[in-house]
Amino acid sequence: MIEHFNIIILVLMIITAIISLQVKDLLSASMIFGIYSFLICLLWAEMGAVDVAFTEAAVGAGVSAVFLIATVYNTKRRSSD
Amino acid sequence: MKWLALIAVIATGSLLIYAVSDFPDWGSASSPANGGVEGAGRSVSQTFIEETDTLTHVPNIVTAVLADYRGYDTMFETVVILAAGMAIFAILRVLRDTEKPVDQSKHDPSIDGDHQRIIIGTTCRLLIPVIQLFALYVVAHGHHSPGGGFQGGVILGASFILLGLATDLETAIARFSEKQFIGLACVGIFIYAGFGVLGQFYGRGFLDYGALQPIFMTDGEPMARSHAMLGVEVGVAFTVTAIMFAIYANLASKGELKNGL
Amino acid sequence: MIQETIITIISTLLILCGLIFFLGAAVGLLRFPDFYTRMHAAGKGDTLSSFLVVLGFAVYQLHDFKFTEAGFKENWWVLLLILKLIGICAFIMITSPTSTHALMNAGWEDDIEPELKHKDANELEKDYPRK
Repeated sequence: MIEHFNIIILVLMIITAIISLQVKDLLSASMIFGIYSFLICLLWAEMGAVDVAFTEAAVGAGVSAVFLIATVYNTKRRSSD
Repeated sequence: MKWLALIAVIATGSLLIYAVSDFPDWGSASSPANGGVEGAGRSVSQTFIEETDTLTHVPNIVTAVLADYRGYDTMFETVVILAAGMAIFAILRVLRDTEKPVDQSKHDPSIDGDHQRIIIGTTCRLLIPVIQLFALYVVAHGHHSPGGGFQGGVILGASFILLGLATDLETAIARFSEKQFIGLACVGIFIYAGFGVLGQFYGRGFLDYGALQPIFMTDGEPMARSHAMLGVEVGVAFTVTAIMFAIYANLASKGELKNGL
Repeated sequence: MIQETIITIISTLLILCGLIFFLGAAVGLLRFPDFYTRMHAAGKGDTLSSFLVVLGFAVYQLHDFKFTEAGFKENWWVLLLILKLIGICAFIMITSPTSTHALMNAGWEDDIEPELKHKDANELEKDYPRK
């Protein structure tokens, strides 16, 4: 059962990674990157690496999303490529 | 150019996937990490699992490995965070006044002062103390449960970022000023390195916490290592808190530290 | 035995109710016409469904708990776990509506127009003038 859980999370991670690279709107890209961080946090928590999952939840899904949004707010919102 | 990059990425990715087939199975007892190699003796992870509790009296092996066995690594990780914060500070911070100075006496630095957002202000006043208390718990309890200086520092910094997001940057700066966060970032590194240098005064190596037994007045060296690890975690937490808030404040206001997001 | 069955039924019911509200929130997010109605669906549905699901988890933890004095001495940590889960419930109930309010407020001040049947029926403009 827990193996299926792993596979679902890994597939979702690949999808979010591709979308966050593909999307033109940088604000959406940073939000989707936050979702990616949250998924990898789930995966680590499930594998038993609670310390790493805690760090990822605090840094990846929490603070770095705020940093990215602050940067997008002060630069431009559309990606050129 | 884009196609060239795509080809390079696909080539590297397929090489990595090819290499994965040589890995031992996940959780396999015969992998090198679990000590399954014949004739190699006891593996590193087995040593950590068996000896951490007797050598350091720290139940959370991850914290013991990070703060004691790999003390150098964590110290320079903290220095890297400080350097990242200082780099952002050096690039973004505008020191001269670009516009006419804002009348600071008119600005009301209370949480729901001139923002007219009573719901957000009340929620912040309710939540920020709880978040900060939880962050201090994570720092202080880091060697008994998951957590530690880095995680606790990030949560503590995030509570100030929440204040800055919910009201405005001046309100947060009024509580955690620029002098304070730059000072705190450096003090954290000094605390960490200070514990290392203290060991040298007793004729032992740098970051050898067992030498601090006379200072902590504990029964044996393991307990002294446990106490020193707590002190080191506090140092890491200081640096991380200050740098997280410094990065946010500089990014959000283009380095002017006023009129943030 | 009968106690375990009752606990399983209650927690399953709570989690199922939560999932139904989640479905409502997702359908509302996709089907509603403009920003404000979508936030309305997402905010309300998300808050209640997360609350119900976490409450269901809290009830499920009672499986390891025996309602006798000896059981209490042995398994007191289950009550601690339930207290933590209820703490998460309270956290969700406070933060989720506030973040919905903050988003709505930001949208209003950013001149997002609600979808209206009659163009001049927007009474809110008089009561809450934009900055």
